[in-house]
Amino acid sequence: MDKISIPIGPHHPLLKEPLSMRIDIAGERVLGGTLRLGYVHRGIEKMATQRTYVQDVHLIERICGICSHVHTTTFCLAVEKLLGIEVPPRGQYIRAMMCELERVHSHLLWLGILAKHVGLETVFMHAWHDRELALDIMEGVSGGRVSHAANQIGGVRFDLSPEQVAMIKENVEKLKAQVSGVLDVIENEPALRARTQGVAPVSADLIRDYCVVGPVARASGIDVDLRRDDPWPPYDQLDVNVITRPEGDAWARTLIRALETRESLRLCEILLSQMPVGPVTVRAPRKVPEGEVVTRSEAPRGEVLYYLRSDGSDKPARLKVRTPTLAVLSLLPEQLSKIHVADIPVVLAGIDLCIACADR
Amino acid sequence: MIRGLFYLLIFPGLAFQVVCGFAFEWIDRKLLARFQRRIGPPWYQPLADLIKLFSKEDLLPLGAYDFVDLMLPLISLSAVLTAGLYIPIARFTPFSFEGDLIVIQFLMSVPTLAYYLAGIASVGIYSILGGGRSLLQYFSYEVPLLITISGPAVMAGSWSVAEISSSQLTMGPFIIFQPLGFILAVVGLIGKLKRDPLDIPSASSEVVGGSLTEFSGAKLGFWHLVMNVQAVVGIFLLVNLYMGWSNLTFPFAAILVFLVECLLMVLILSGASAVFARLRIDQLAGLGWRILVPLALLQLGFVILMGV
Amino acid sequence: MKTMRKRHSLLNAIIDAVISKPDTVAYPFGELELPEGYRGAIVIDPEKCTGCGLCVRDCPAGALKLEKKSRDEFKLIHYPARCAYCSQCENSCVKGAIGHSNALVGATAHPRELVVVLKEMKEGEG
Repeated sequence: MDKISIPIGPHHPLLKEPLSMRIDIAGERVLGGTLRLGYVHRGIEKMATQRTYVQDVHLIERICGICSHVHTTTFCLAVEKLLGIEVPPRGQYIRAMMCELERVHSHLLWLGILAKHVGLETVFMHAWHDRELALDIMEGVSGGRVSHAANQIGGVRFDLSPEQVAMIKENVEKLKAQVSGVLDVIENEPALRARTQGVAPVSADLIRDYCVVGPVARASGIDVDLRRDDPWPPYDQLDVNVITRPEGDAWARTLIRALETRESLRLCEILLSQMPVGPVTVRAPRKVPEGEVVTRSEAPRGEVLYYLRSDGSDKPARLKVRTPTLAVLSLLPEQLSKIHVADIPVVLAGIDLCIACADR
Repeated sequence: MIRGLFYLLIFPGLAFQVVCGFAFEWIDRKLLARFQRRIGPPWYQPLADLIKLFSKEDLLPLGAYDFVDLMLPLISLSAVLTAGLYIPIARFTPFSFEGDLIVIQFLMSVPTLAYYLAGIASVGIYSILGGGRSLLQYFSYEVPLLITISGPAVMAGSWSVAEISSSQLTMGPFIIFQPLGFILAVVGLIGKLKRDPLDIPSASSEVVGGSLTEFSGAKLGFWHLVMNVQAVVGIFLLVNLYMGWSNLTFPFAAILVFLVECLLMVLILSGASAVFARLRIDQLAGLGWRILVPLALLQLGFVILMGV
Repeated sequence: MKTMRKRHSLLNAIIDAVISKPDTVAYPFGELELPEGYRGAIVIDPEKCTGCGLCVRDCPAGALKLEKKSRDEFKLIHYPARCAYCSQCENSCVKGAIGHSNALVGATAHPRELVVVLKEMKEGEG
């Protein structure tokens, strides 16, 4: 059979954001592929040096729509480290609670996309229906479903009233029931298992060679989770269960993300019950003293790393963002050999692409 | 002459089948939407889509065969419309002859071949892939479907759909005697209509639109009509072969029962579309030849033994 | 039993979906409920605004502009099409004058021409 090259081009129903791949296939087997990024590059790192730190918080939020809160959190942590100020405990707890809710919404979004590409459109709609509960919490608390604008340098922008806390508790309870239903469907649905089990297994050595992070690494048995290994408060007071699986195929990645959702809801409940009272923010000076700092966080897709250097003015001198999708995408050409054409959506969904994060 | 034209163009010919096609598309989309917690389209949506498609520009890639691409949907449309003429609608069939079941099967396979040729004739890469997949799928579901459909014919002792349908008045509906055959026929129909879970040729995640990726405008409008009419004709066929309760004496009772049976079939098709995931082509080939064909032979053997 | 259980969860979800109210709203023919804290269109309390320009300095999108002719004559302009609805102006204002309502900004064919004059104070007023 001849080798033909199909483009999973910038425009494709498979992709949420533009990405260019040329995949070589022969019949129904995939031989390999090449990758090309840069379609959503907006020059955020350069723009960040032209705006003040206060304005940069909102700029950083727009790097990615799905994991926006974790980006602003990491940036604010970096600036606060340089300033030498500490966020009050209640602010830390609210930040962590929003991070966990974001993880829940991101994984439910991802699950819907995987189900849609496999052909189970009903599971897609039901998973996104459950995601609406998480988005309702975030909208009621912060005023926006996807762009929360929750963080500011020195703490968080809003406080939780008792009615809001009650609303969050109620919705989290409902979410827990729905997520168990979704987990049931994933574990027992034979079609999903048939499409994902044994597809594109990745060994732990390959993961270490390519420095892959996040659920993809945990699905191959590598035990790494920044919430436990390099925690920022209040994660150092929480006991995070890190879920790993040894198989490394698409089924393991599916199961890990579903179980992580349940774990995030449990952490949310603990954070709500242990929330301290007090102020939520401290006043931050505008000019940041000279220095450089590196901060890391566990985004839904893995480790996100910020390097910030300041020169004493109110604008950063250099901001460098390393997002997890960039590390995982380097594994893609390796994964694309020895699979069927029909497995391409499953492999792409297993990576959980967020090209806006990768391109910045 | 006028009567013949009336049968060909109005009922049960062109106008009736097209209107039924719109109704089927609307019910299917509305049911699927309700299963997915959405509101779904209003009743005039299929007609509005068709009008919109006919008003759009007609583009094809460089090197595609324009005339062939225009003729293929028209030929398929005429084939399925003709197939629908021989199927009784609540006991009413103006044209019917011995052996029309075979003719109907043949005519219903014309769109599949046309789909493949449309993929080749519009020379985009996704079209060629989709076309190839549609032929692979055809080889997997057609044989069990043909074997299964012979079951009611053997039981009624005739190859005419009208005869099979009216013989159920005395023998009882065949779905009671051949439940396995009914399930296999539904699976075959899903494969023929290229619906979820067997919509491998047009799986949007893999091959964007299958053979119809490059079509637009009036040509795509005709293809949509072909899909809808094919679905309606397939449903009428299965209702008459397996659920013959509509052969009662009073015409209004017959029409009502026929309507209820057709709606039940639509519910089954939409439900299958919502619950099952898309199969891979090698899984479908395995399913077709390792499971469906032996089961169909078993059912046929059982029918023959029962008649002996 | 295992086979029964595997279909059970999805069929359960489908039956539940058919019985309950749909998630989607036929906007704009249906009503849309927005919570109170929703960050919608920018509104100002003209009594409190003094034209200090803190909101203009901190806006990340450049959606606010202050034309100051003298200490008592200024005009505060807002461009809804450039606004990111991030509430930084609300945080920066020390008087609590500017803020969000939960109304949606209407769609228009010419977004660049959308200009809202939030406060205009002439010489001799106030």
